[in-house]
Amino acid sequence: MSNPFTQKNTSLIIYFAIWFAIAQNHFIILYMFLNITFELAVADSLVYNIIYCFLGLGLWYPTRYISLDEDKIWKALSNHFMAAVFSSVIWAYAGYFILSNWFADNQSYIQFLDNSLVLRITFGVILYLVLISFYYMIFYYKSFKEKAGHELKMETLLKEAELRSLKYQINPHFIFNSLNSISSLTMSDPKIAQQMTINLSGFLRSTLSHNDRQMNKLKDEIANIQLYLEIEKIRFGENLDFNIEINPQCENTEVPSMILQPLIENAIKHGVYESIDKIIISLVSKIEAKYLKIQVVNNYDPDTASRKGKGIGLENIKERLRLIYNQDNLLTIEKSENIFTANIYIPKEQ
Amino acid sequence: MSSKVTTIIIDDEKLARNVIRNYLGNYADIVIVDECKNGYEAFKSITSNKPDLIFLDIQMPKISGFELLELLDDPPAIVFSTAFDHYALKAFEVNAIDYLLKPFSEERFMEAIDKVLLKLKNRPKDKDDIIDKLSNHKLSEKDHLTRIVVKKNSRIIVIPTDKIINIEAQDDYVMINCEDGSYLKTKTLKFFEDNLDPANFIRIHRSHIVRIDLIKNIELLEKESYRLTLANGTSCPVSKSGYAKLKEILN
Repeated sequence: MSNPFTQKNTSLIIYFAIWFAIAQNHFIILYMFLNITFELAVADSLVYNIIYCFLGLGLWYPTRYISLDEDKIWKALSNHFMAAVFSSVIWAYAGYFILSNWFADNQSYIQFLDNSLVLRITFGVILYLVLISFYYMIFYYKSFKEKAGHELKMETLLKEAELRSLKYQINPHFIFNSLNSISSLTMSDPKIAQQMTINLSGFLRSTLSHNDRQMNKLKDEIANIQLYLEIEKIRFGENLDFNIEINPQCENTEVPSMILQPLIENAIKHGVYESIDKIIISLVSKIEAKYLKIQVVNNYDPDTASRKGKGIGLENIKERLRLIYNQDNLLTIEKSENIFTANIYIPKEQ
Repeated sequence: MSSKVTTIIIDDEKLARNVIRNYLGNYADIVIVDECKNGYEAFKSITSNKPDLIFLDIQMPKISGFELLELLDDPPAIVFSTAFDHYALKAFEVNAIDYLLKPFSEERFMEAIDKVLLKLKNRPKDKDDIIDKLSNHKLSEKDHLTRIVVKKNSRIIVIPTDKIINIEAQDDYVMINCEDGSYLKTKTLKFFEDNLDPANFIRIHRSHIVRIDLIKNIELLEKESYRLTLANGTSCPVSKSGYAKLKEILN
């Protein structure tokens, strides 16, 4: 980090302006209160303040090399005290040297310079402390801001990584079983085999491409789910039925991509895979207050003895919605005797 | 053995059963006596038809292919047909003659049948070790048992693991005590120790596993000899190492 005053022209101008103001006060004190002549007062204030003005720019470096760590605070303070005295003495004597040579024949002014030396050194130390404090403030403010920016960036990265890890993954079991059904149908019903191949390709294509995106239109999500359910319907025939009802107003609403797929797969897994009876899956979407509500309902066999998954799929959906919308409870689950209901709430943009 | 081989096709998807039925059309010596679409049906059919060979899917409603095998006293020759790759290893452990990964070709199927015919001709009764191997396979690390399938008076009972109170080793069996009764199963206590969720169950003795949340009290009988009482009044001995585990868990 370089000196904050030399980084930009404007800050350098402000720095010089402050010194000009100090020099002005210096002049006023000498001329009005200490009865120094106009010419001498101008020369005195210019010489001393111009020297400190440039010295002050250099004081940035001790602040950079003397850190105010808590365990070394006394060392830092004594270093600064020594630097303050040292630079103030040099400053006071440099001014003294220039002015005493310049006005060598003015005895009373030389007398004044001699008498004011200690006061000037003291004033130099005070200026040193003010400047140093200012530099530390700038330094800590900058590193604080940098750290905050860094933390924010880390947080965003973390969130992105989390979202990636929560993304839907195609179940290989589904693909292989579908391919097996196709293999079977090529012998018995090539027409349906062809249809199923097309459906499976469509599902794979859109699933793979949707997964790159975070958001997607509801109607595209629904089209994909339709493909998926058509495939499962060919596999399970009579055992599966579904109906999808979408309020046309919601069709273009953006929803997290593949957010519904795990719910539908859950319905299939706990419903169709585990039941001997017919399973009906219904998907309804409507607008409720400030939310787009998507409801997935399926019946299941209550006798199915606890082959319950650990609900990781549902937890992932919940977590993903929370990360995207910064809101909890955007997924609710209801379980009655043999009906399972999942509701997803997508906040509408205000 | 008789010249004909009888077989049952077990799969919950009709289309999957059709593939096998179709491929078997070329074998005049293999007769399909039944098709089943879940473990219950299959258990009944195998018990009554006593086939020489079954084609078995693993993922099925109610009772999985593996659970079905646990129930059979005298299982026939097995060919697994499944979409799951990670079951393949287990399939070998349970001594299946072959496993077919869906979808499979007719050539691959014929290979499997060749193996079956060879095996049936040479060792028609090579079955004892099937049960034996089955008793002790370990599920993968993160999958814990969620249910146990047992047989009582030729009825199949599915016990969710959260209904189990304790399990006691008895010779070659274990006695599984539940809220609604006790069931025998041919498995080792070690199998349950390995496969039940360790957050819920603990082995406290050479021959005892108990459910952790039912533990009511533990009393010291004499030096280094403890006895544990469960909420329903059952009491079991606790071994020294069992007591160490208990202390760790209950703290």
